[in-house]
Amino acid sequence: MRTGHFKESYGELVALTDSSVTRAWVGLLVVALLLLPLVAGNYGLSLATAAMITVVGAVGLNLLTGMTGLISVGQSGFLAIGAYTNALLLADYKWPLLASLPASGIVAGVLSLLVGVPSLRLKGLYLAITTLAFAFIVNHVILYAEGLTHGPNGVFLPNASLLGIDVSRDRPLYFLVLAVTILVVLAVLNIKRTRIGRAFLAIRDHDIAARVMGVDLVRYKLLAFVISSFLVGIAGALLSLQIRFVNVDVFGLILSIEALAVIILGGLGSTAGAILGAVFLSMLPELIRIAFSTFGSTQSVTYTTYVYEIRGIAYGVVIVVFLRFKPDGLIGLWRDVRRYWTNWPLAY
Amino acid sequence: MDFLLLLISAGLVSGAAYGMIAMGFALIYKATGVVNFAQGELVMLTAYVAFSIAGAVDLGFWSLLAVTVPIAMAIGLTLERIFIRPMLGEPAFAIVMVTIGLAVILRGVTIMIWGPDPLDFAAGLSREVITLGPIPFYPAQLYAIGCLAILVGLAYGFLRYTRVGIAMRAVAANETAALLMGVSVKRIHAVAWSLSSAIAAVAGILFAANFKLGPDMWFQGLRSFPALILGGLDSLIGAAIGGLIIGVVETLAQGYLGQGLREIAGFVVIVVILMVRPYGLFGARDIERV
Amino acid sequence: MRKIAAAGFAACLFAGPVLAADPGVTDTEIKIGDVNILTGPASFIGRAVSIGSKIAAAEINAAGGINGRKIVIATEDDGYVPSRSFQALKKLVESDGIFALSGTSGSANILAMLPLIEENKLPTVVTTTPNELVYTPVRPSVFTIGATYQDSFYAQVKYIHENVRQQNAVYGVIRQDDEFGAAVEGGYDKAVKEFKLKDGLRLRFKRGQTNFSAEVLQLRAAGVNALVNGGIIAGAANILSEARKLNMDLAVASVWSEDMPPSVKLSQPAGYPYILADYVALNDAATDTYVEKAKKYLSADEVGGINRYSYLSYVGLKVMAKAMEACGKELTRACTVSELRKIKNFDTSGLTAPISFDNEQQLSGRELKIYQLDPKAGTFKALVDFKRY
Repeated sequence: MRTGHFKESYGELVALTDSSVTRAWVGLLVVALLLLPLVAGNYGLSLATAAMITVVGAVGLNLLTGMTGLISVGQSGFLAIGAYTNALLLADYKWPLLASLPASGIVAGVLSLLVGVPSLRLKGLYLAITTLAFAFIVNHVILYAEGLTHGPNGVFLPNASLLGIDVSRDRPLYFLVLAVTILVVLAVLNIKRTRIGRAFLAIRDHDIAARVMGVDLVRYKLLAFVISSFLVGIAGALLSLQIRFVNVDVFGLILSIEALAVIILGGLGSTAGAILGAVFLSMLPELIRIAFSTFGSTQSVTYTTYVYEIRGIAYGVVIVVFLRFKPDGLIGLWRDVRRYWTNWPLAY
Repeated sequence: MDFLLLLISAGLVSGAAYGMIAMGFALIYKATGVVNFAQGELVMLTAYVAFSIAGAVDLGFWSLLAVTVPIAMAIGLTLERIFIRPMLGEPAFAIVMVTIGLAVILRGVTIMIWGPDPLDFAAGLSREVITLGPIPFYPAQLYAIGCLAILVGLAYGFLRYTRVGIAMRAVAANETAALLMGVSVKRIHAVAWSLSSAIAAVAGILFAANFKLGPDMWFQGLRSFPALILGGLDSLIGAAIGGLIIGVVETLAQGYLGQGLREIAGFVVIVVILMVRPYGLFGARDIERV
Repeated sequence: MRKIAAAGFAACLFAGPVLAADPGVTDTEIKIGDVNILTGPASFIGRAVSIGSKIAAAEINAAGGINGRKIVIATEDDGYVPSRSFQALKKLVESDGIFALSGTSGSANILAMLPLIEENKLPTVVTTTPNELVYTPVRPSVFTIGATYQDSFYAQVKYIHENVRQQNAVYGVIRQDDEFGAAVEGGYDKAVKEFKLKDGLRLRFKRGQTNFSAEVLQLRAAGVNALVNGGIIAGAANILSEARKLNMDLAVASVWSEDMPPSVKLSQPAGYPYILADYVALNDAATDTYVEKAKKYLSADEVGGINRYSYLSYVGLKVMAKAMEACGKELTRACTVSELRKIKNFDTSGLTAPISFDNEQQLSGRELKIYQLDPKAGTFKALVDFKRY
């Protein structure tokens, strides 16, 4: 009789999951997401789409910050690059969406080398500062390279279609974003199962040991940064499809901070955590709104006057509180709860 | 020639602000090994505090400073106690993230208390133009340069001759060894935060006197990163000199090349420094290449 | 069980659109949307806009509403971030079910909302950002009140050329590097070409920049003595303060936001009697009557927040109400839009020039009034009355 949870081969160790329960739940979730358009109105769908775009970006950042342990404060720059690439290719160069979407990620990935090469050679927090600098430089280039980017006027996206379906409508866009999100999540989960993913984790946990084990630090750090920027670029492209207008103002620095809040809240290093965090924080403004409206009118005056500040503070508090009390985030909380009940009544 | 001199003087004035802000960064980095992303917010918060004090009582510049600095130090101590102390022993990565969170919180709180409109803040200084040779200055601009010089002197004396200062250098050099020699690392961290807030207050008041007081002042913290990197992250005096250099470089870039280059010149400098001399001009050379 | 519930739900879904006419209209109410900058550094604009809409709605409702229906305003904040404006309008359209849109936030923000506005054929009156990109190409349901920044600066440079600096004038412009700045330079450019003025220097700066020492030195080196100051609020004040330090003799043209008390307070110490051209009245009988009226409906705090944006949103909603009233009981979006198109010489009791939308661009109120600041008193005097440039 099995008395515990054993892995009996290497294959099982790296399998995505060996639990049929998990498989069932994930399957159920996918089915629920596929059926969502039947029940949710357009606003609900648009919120869900925005949340999934955040998921793509967060999973990308998580690969860098959570898995490899490198901080980037300039993801808004790569988001802008992705969005602009997609918008310009669709609007000015009449590329099909099928080509412009991956191109957005590739451009972001290639440009990330500009920052990555000088700063990832060094140990420490240099990446945080250079990515910040990069975000400013991107903003500047977009505004001044008018011939390419339309400068300050921004770009309106034409009604893009994919395989003959107009994806500017809420439903097709929802399905497109859902498909991309599933692909991205699967890709990242699979990277984690390979040598590359294990190298990332090793760099985060102990870079010297990783080096001794034969991990080329510069190469793998750079790889993490490029993959991460690629995914954030894709998120940017999806964002541009949803808003249908891009302009430098869309990509404020606060987005980078929000992204960090998302992955800390979800649980650094965990893909499921990043998803959970993204969904939770996307819904947070709605939650705050509901919280304030239940407290009567005087508070809601404070709320409407300072909604942005309150939201900012909420992000900050989330970052601080989770780092202090629950560094493994919501997903860690969930694990604790599960362990408690699995071992009940002998939980410790 | 006149144009060049004027540009350099203008560069020194903005550089003095960068220098002071970067010194605050460097002090915390030296003592705790963490880049405090909330430094710009500290500068803004303390400037607003000074504004409220100046609104309540009519004070000259030095007395305003004398009242604001202790309050700023108390704020620094409190923030350290609530946000940073509990993270002691966590990886630097986590502490940096906490300062990012703290930055966002301080930003929101400042706007909620003082509102979003920019304010005019004379900081007890007159607006009569003073002319030195061919170059005109506002008093607040000269005070900025003067205060930077004073702060550099104080920092040098503090780190070299006082017990706490020497202890701080010991902590910076080797935290464990310092701990074993009986230095209270916690106390040193607290001292670093409070002194850094004091520097932030001086920087904030003078920045606001020169360029108005507004809720986007925190941004000057980010603008000061180039100075910090150029100076070498853990060198206070390097940060001050780095600030002046960056100020002059930015102003000259704008004056001779234009195209809004001022706003990104510093950031281009960052990338270049990291490529050729990552420890900056004065930083400790323990930067590891990987 | 679940099947039945699902079927019921589906039935509701399909039944919905058949019953409803245009959303936002019931027997007793008309819901008007307002997306605005209520938070962040530019929130004084959004707050003023909301106050203006509130006064207009209160006044209309006190007079019995529009054919018996009361106006209800649903406001959403966007914090001046275009992607949030999009989400906010999405919420107003899909979840609150607004009938029309009256507040439209900043320039980039309205641009981000345009695709949604067009898609839903929302009757929209834009008053705060009469940017050329909003009405070229013309969107059928979008109506714009106001002069562009181009017009405003063209008018001011013309005034300076004709009245202030008749001789030896060297002109210069300093402006933001975004679409607003481009419009400022557009007006400058037009005037410089038309009057064959000496074009000394053109400079751009980044939004939020505070330090203008190098730029002002460049202006001085170019010998500029008539400046188009495209800075706003603290930026404009810092430019003037640097110029004062260098003791420059300048005639200054300014952005219309510089007529608001916080801006004036920041700019006063530099002591330049700058001029500005605005498409709303600033301080005369019209605005006095307006403030008196406002006191009936608002708290003292809110009355203090009134500025040019409040006059504009008030006018905007009044025009929209007039069109909706003309539709009678059968109020639809299509009807409102066609009635808006018929608006001719709508009297705004002096707050702006009369409004007429019967033109190709569906654009009105382009007449500008030129004012000059008295830097000691902090008040404005009118130099030239409303005139089309």
